[in-house]
Amino acid sequence: MAQVLVIGLVEGTLFGLLAVGITLIHRGTGAINFALGEVGTFGLYVAWWLTVDQGMPWIVGATGAVATAVALSLAFERLVVRPMRVRNPLAVSVATVGLLTALLSFEFQRFGESPREVPVPIHGLGVRVAGVNVSPTQLLSLLVVAAIAIGLGQFLRRTDFGLGVLAAAQDADATRLVGVPLRRVTAFVWAAGGAVAALAALFVAPTVGALTPGFASTHLFVVALIAAVVGGLSSLPGAFVGGLALGVLKSGVLRLFAESTLPGKEYLVYLTIGIAVLLFRPNGILGTARPRSAA
Amino acid sequence: MTAVAPVVDASTAAVDGPAGSLTHHPSRRHAAPMTPTVWLRYLGVLLVAVSAPILLGELGVLNDTRALVLGEAAALAVAALSLNVLMGYAGQVSLGHFALLGVGAFASSRLTAPTASDPVALPFVFGVVAATGAGGLVAFLLGLPALRLRGLYLAVVTIVFNFVMVQSLFQSSWLSSGSGGVELPRPVVGTFEFVRNADYLAVVLALLVVVWLVDANLSASKLGRAFHAIRADETMAASFGIDVTRYKLLAFTISGAMAGLAGALYGHLFTFVNSGTFDLTQSLFLLTLVVIGGLGSRAGVVAAAAMYGALDFGLGEAFGTDAAGWVVFGGAVLLMFTIAQHPTGLAGAWREASERRHQRSVHGAPAEEADGTPATPQMVDLPRPVGLPARDTGPGDGPLLAVRDVTVHFGGLRAVDAVSLDVPPRRIVGLIGPNGAGKTTLFNAISGALRPDAGTVELLGRDLSDAPAHVRAAAGIGRTFQMIGLAKDRSVTENLLLAQHHVASYGAVEALAGLGRAPRVEEALRTRAAEAVAALGFERYADTPVANLSHGQQRIVEIGCALVTAPDLVMLDEPSAGMAPGAVENLAVRLRDMRDELDRTVLLIEHNIPLVLDVCDELYVLANGSLIAHGAPDDVVARAAVIEAYLGGAIS
Repeated sequence: MAQVLVIGLVEGTLFGLLAVGITLIHRGTGAINFALGEVGTFGLYVAWWLTVDQGMPWIVGATGAVATAVALSLAFERLVVRPMRVRNPLAVSVATVGLLTALLSFEFQRFGESPREVPVPIHGLGVRVAGVNVSPTQLLSLLVVAAIAIGLGQFLRRTDFGLGVLAAAQDADATRLVGVPLRRVTAFVWAAGGAVAALAALFVAPTVGALTPGFASTHLFVVALIAAVVGGLSSLPGAFVGGLALGVLKSGVLRLFAESTLPGKEYLVYLTIGIAVLLFRPNGILGTARPRSAA
Repeated sequence: MTAVAPVVDASTAAVDGPAGSLTHHPSRRHAAPMTPTVWLRYLGVLLVAVSAPILLGELGVLNDTRALVLGEAAALAVAALSLNVLMGYAGQVSLGHFALLGVGAFASSRLTAPTASDPVALPFVFGVVAATGAGGLVAFLLGLPALRLRGLYLAVVTIVFNFVMVQSLFQSSWLSSGSGGVELPRPVVGTFEFVRNADYLAVVLALLVVVWLVDANLSASKLGRAFHAIRADETMAASFGIDVTRYKLLAFTISGAMAGLAGALYGHLFTFVNSGTFDLTQSLFLLTLVVIGGLGSRAGVVAAAAMYGALDFGLGEAFGTDAAGWVVFGGAVLLMFTIAQHPTGLAGAWREASERRHQRSVHGAPAEEADGTPATPQMVDLPRPVGLPARDTGPGDGPLLAVRDVTVHFGGLRAVDAVSLDVPPRRIVGLIGPNGAGKTTLFNAISGALRPDAGTVELLGRDLSDAPAHVRAAAGIGRTFQMIGLAKDRSVTENLLLAQHHVASYGAVEALAGLGRAPRVEEALRTRAAEAVAALGFERYADTPVANLSHGQQRIVEIGCALVTAPDLVMLDEPSAGMAPGAVENLAVRLRDMRDELDRTVLLIEHNIPLVLDVCDELYVLANGSLIAHGAPDDVVARAAVIEAYLGGAIS
């Protein structure tokens, strides 16, 4: 039981981190960025190229990954979203599907399906918690996620710009009243989403294994998306808690049905949880009723 | 990518799309009902579709490689039509459509392929039927939780569903032997086996024609209109009596059934599928094809599927499979460009190009200007619909509409605070008050567009407090919206057909087949719509998209739509807003006609005090969510409280 918790929580923090990225973009724009996982994968390919191919240290690879993911997200916002003729959440979301498809096919064409290993930042055995080895990389990942969670929370709640970001989804006018240009809010949420996607992908890679096209979409994004739904696509703490809960559920189910030969059992858990939330708590576990639209 | 260059030079004026809608293209096309001539035409196409590949195969022109490419493109076209029903018509997004194709393929394999444990193999036909049913059933079950809600939840559920099927269930031992996959034998008729690809291509093309026919029937029916209305604006759709959740679910179920069929066609073409066949990348690429081809356009999405087949094959032949792989990348980039700059896709570009050609050939000016839009649109008369099914009119004594203690909160704000009012039958009752008083919110609470926190609404003694908007519309409440509640990219006639949704009494199966009650009922709807067009004096604009009309004209069409099913209560939200003075006089005459000639009851929100004094029998005044005055219009307007709250003492 304790093992299930430890394994689940370590991975769950990363699910939660990406779920926060999805929720942030949804709050800022009303859209879901379906390419967010693959933006992380793309960053990971850059990290692989810098570390393995060019022989640079991990931190350079990681910086390159985050920078690439941020640049890609900002470029998408600038070149596709902003000039849109009919810009609404649905159209923006469908455009992100285009980005997802473009990234996937580019990876397949350029790198093929052969698996690649991205090196870990710190080697060594790490510490044993409840009979589970928590590797130094996982400890680092916990620290980074905690730092981001606290930093982002403080930034959003204590600065005018942050309050503007939080207000954006409810009311564009409210954002303007706080004195924050909506344009900069939008750019911020896309960039921040890209950054957390790259970080989550970097830290989940050693646990999950080899890098192939679709890596972070398959192992990270799909869980994080349900975690964001658990948070009602609106609550950042709700999304993070959702990520933790799904991490624990995943490790629990894999443990409980260890004998079963059915592959991919965790995906059944994700779909079940997602459907249950939509049926019983469509505003999320921490969500409050949204104001009803008048007409 | 030269084949798709026309998209780049298309130049349409930027439009403000309705929230949640991807496209905004005016459509002048008239969905024609199925006449014997049309049936014959389909029969002819079907014969060609079947005989051409068989003949060309015999002649050796269509060798196995080419027939396989064409077969794949045809199966892909069925899949594209399927996603088009959901996304192009109903405006809902599925990111896991190939998983539904997989459900169809695995279901068909279950029945048609003999296995060690189950040596009985049923004929191809059973497999196809089972695939269609399984696809529809799975889509229905997925849609149940996701489509009750507004927003992107179907996209979320379907993308996870695709992962579930590919990473897990399609690899399970009871569906296939691991990732080993399953067999799907080619059909056998008597002693003839469809082993040659050209022969099987005939089967795929025949079913493509059938799917196209069903799709065309759907578009021309109340289903097609309801889907389109939902895509344009769910609140407007519900006000015309459309059960939004039910119709979204119906769209996904029909789409799922078509996807299941496409999966079976696909599987029996390659005679083998495994989990990888239905990977997420395939679903995403299908979406790419549909958006590029043109959301809502059958010809556009089929053309996109065919072009992809040709491009994939041609590039593969010329430069190897690696080059063909870049087609997907190019398609994805084109998708981003299309959605950003040209949301109507290839079909839209084609339509605009042919319209430009047409305009040049008739020397320049757009038709509208040549007609000379009248500066002051007039409502010549009112629609007087006949032959409508009888409604339950209850006991009939007492008020027509009784509102009791209705309260609506928005967050901490009491937008409507314990409002009670009565509307007696055959009266024009006005509702006035300053901006933000809660008038439209009260309207929405009465029509069901929002659910009040407390209070009851009764129409003719029937308690409608818990009834959703579409039920209230069918019960006899017709309404208009401040911002014009019409499908603006559709013609005046199409809107008048849409408005008759709840009196179109035929089922979904009849609509898809174009048989049974559907043709007769549609004929009656069309007659009633034509009469309404004539009564309004809009014959000249019958086929004009509403978006091309002036605001005052749109308002008249909207009032016509509200009246075309003869509702007991007509609720008009600021009908005179934006009307010229002459048109307001005309409106006053028609409002009195509604009461005196049509025996309708009218509840009217108005800011135009002279109009209110002119036509209303009774007047209510709302301020800060509460009723502050009620009585005869002259008395009420004279009252000090009203002058204070509403007119600031400036009445003269």
